[in-house]
Amino acid sequence: MKAKKIRRRLRRFKNFRKYELQDKIFQYVGLACTLFGIGILFVLLADVLMKGLTRVDWDFLMDLPSRKAERAGIYTAWIGTLWIMVSTAVIAFPVGVGAGLYLEEYGKRNKLANFVEINIANLAGVPSIIYGLLGLELFARALSLGGSILTGALTLSLLILPIIIVSTREALKSVPYTIREASYGLGATKWQTIWYQVLPASVSGIITGAILAISRAIGETAPLIVIGALSYVPFAASGVMDSFTVLPIQIFNWISRPQEEFAVNAAAAIIVMLSITFLMNGIAVFFRYRAQKKIKW
Amino acid sequence: MNLIETEIGELKTELIDMTYMVKGQIEKCIQALYTFDKDLSKEVVKNEKWVNGCELRIDSKCEHILALFNPVAVDLRFVVASLKMVSDLERIGDNAKGIAQYIVKSETPFDKELIKKFRFEEMTTVTLDMLEVLSNSFEKDNTKLARTVFAKDEILDEINNQANIIFQEYVLNEKDPQKVMQAIYFLSIIRKMERVGDYITNIAEEIIFYVKAKVLRHNKKEKAKVKNKEEDSADDDL
Amino acid sequence: MKIEVKDLSVYYGPDHVLKNVSVSIKKQTVTALIGPSGCGKSTFLRCFNRMNDLIDNARIEGEIKIDNLDIYSPSVNVNELRKTIGMVFQKPNPFPKTIFENVAFGLRVNGEKNKKVIEEKVEKSLHQAALWNEVKDKLKKSALALSGGQQQRLCIARALAVEPSILLMDEPASALDPISTVKIEELIYQLKEKYTILIVTHNMQQASRTSDKTAFFYMGDLIEFEDTRTMFTNPKKEKTQNYITGRFG
Repeated sequence: MKAKKIRRRLRRFKNFRKYELQDKIFQYVGLACTLFGIGILFVLLADVLMKGLTRVDWDFLMDLPSRKAERAGIYTAWIGTLWIMVSTAVIAFPVGVGAGLYLEEYGKRNKLANFVEINIANLAGVPSIIYGLLGLELFARALSLGGSILTGALTLSLLILPIIIVSTREALKSVPYTIREASYGLGATKWQTIWYQVLPASVSGIITGAILAISRAIGETAPLIVIGALSYVPFAASGVMDSFTVLPIQIFNWISRPQEEFAVNAAAAIIVMLSITFLMNGIAVFFRYRAQKKIKW
Repeated sequence: MNLIETEIGELKTELIDMTYMVKGQIEKCIQALYTFDKDLSKEVVKNEKWVNGCELRIDSKCEHILALFNPVAVDLRFVVASLKMVSDLERIGDNAKGIAQYIVKSETPFDKELIKKFRFEEMTTVTLDMLEVLSNSFEKDNTKLARTVFAKDEILDEINNQANIIFQEYVLNEKDPQKVMQAIYFLSIIRKMERVGDYITNIAEEIIFYVKAKVLRHNKKEKAKVKNKEEDSADDDL
Repeated sequence: MKIEVKDLSVYYGPDHVLKNVSVSIKKQTVTALIGPSGCGKSTFLRCFNRMNDLIDNARIEGEIKIDNLDIYSPSVNVNELRKTIGMVFQKPNPFPKTIFENVAFGLRVNGEKNKKVIEEKVEKSLHQAALWNEVKDKLKKSALALSGGQQQRLCIARALAVEPSILLMDEPASALDPISTVKIEELIYQLKEKYTILIVTHNMQQASRTSDKTAFFYMGDLIEFEDTRTMFTNPKKEKTQNYITGRFG
């Protein structure tokens, strides 16, 4: 008796089997896409690791570049990367966070503000080589800074500024208005509210955004080449006005050489670069996790 | 119509029904007295339990409304007034039963001379009139009409006050012990009728309270003012 | 200390949301503000500590005098004003900081630097808010770990810490369970001795239980302002009676 009822019900759902099938197909397609993406990534990583892992040793990290592959090291490259990273951070963070703070908290909500907001978002999508050209004309030539670390840092700052501004604004937006209301209700001024309540609550989000922005900056090659970063630098940079090179450029340089050993060097350098990238992203993720744990709206 | 309106409406309907029931009891016992109808009297006695049942139902409904509906303002006043009114109505019913019981106890019809001497016909006419006025004014929330019972009650009070002397005179002159016993019953009946008048005025006070939020209980000055017709209409325009 | 409101009007852009309200409030009383949604009672409440100033297109006309000083006069510093008037909001909104820091914030904003003074005042406020016993061992824990009712009492303590003279409460118990609501109402009853309290509430029974006077608002107008007891037994205006008996709204 019961089976008859169920069958009758199933017959009513003529599409019953069809929907089940659709569901299963979608599941498998999704899985395939995911595996495809991750798979390719893994294949690349594996290839790099296999080629270069043995080459990574203390000498490799500390040697200056050389025409002889066995003696070539990435010392100047990662010193350059470090200088660029720190300089860019020092310039871009305060300006970006400050601009984001101003636009979000103090800016009036009018047509002009909307216009500015749209343009900042657009700037984040401008190809990095355009920034390079801007940097070349403005910093390297007009301000006579040449192909120095300062030029590179200023150029990259311009590049990542929109990203920092947008992520700062998002972090500030995520602080509920009720917190600000409570603060004003107690008689706090706008600045006191921002400094003591809004910023502490959003700092994790701001830092996450900033770290991800810097992480992108240190991977940029094209703008630095345009402004005049060198590819063969036998000395390590020691001041902001020095010439420099960075890891991506060094890698590029080695890849373009015919010798097999330089390919190995390149692989090794890639491993170092990736490690730095993963490390920075890891720090960003850590901050985001802490932020989510601490503040449960 | 929302929930509380429905409940208050039901409560009012039940009170009006009880008023008519009690009025019927009084009408019957008065008629039974004049026609010395013992069967009608026994009916009045039997029906008293319906009146009591009404009281219990209405009490329960008031409790229900207070607990569940949080009445305020006029609704609250109405529920509070209802609790008092139902108790007064029940007592009127009790008095009707008491009068009927005297009729059943009495061996002979009541002496027409006695009825005349005590001005009993006037009393019953006024009482029935008051009951009529009361049920009308309650149904229509008409406080002007309700106020008219106060003056009428004074007539009942007057008849009651005179009854003692009339009783004394009658008993001193009458030798028939049965007739004297009847006179004793009659005195009690008059007392009961006077009390019915009091209960009716109480109910009228409650009606004025819940409609106008004016408290007239124990307030002789207010009631005296009310006798003046002009003040009546002025008050009711508020 | 008394509050005099004269011809107060509030506009949100073209909308006239509060229309020529005039009322007089005595000190150390609890006044309940009732009315259907959108009638202007919250707007009215927020006029007292000028929170409406934070809304871009809000315009306020008329005057509110607290102790004969018009709080909308240009010589009044808004932030200083807000330090004398405490506010508790509908949804508990403790800061994402420790319990101690929440209550201390108002004091710090006021410029209090003495650690001992801050500690004493925090403890006093938590006592006043009937929260001390529940949190005295975990002052350094996050305020967000407290239950809803506790959070709201924390917000009350936070408002009391700066020793305001007036307390504004915008539906303080509407987001809370019945037991927390009872605690808050008991609290209001105790606070009445020292503070003048204005409380917006949707809950008629709460208004009737806790307040001395009640103001009924409808569509921006103040319809009736009356002793609570009178308003709930014999209101003067028909609109008031219709609202409180649930005949409309």
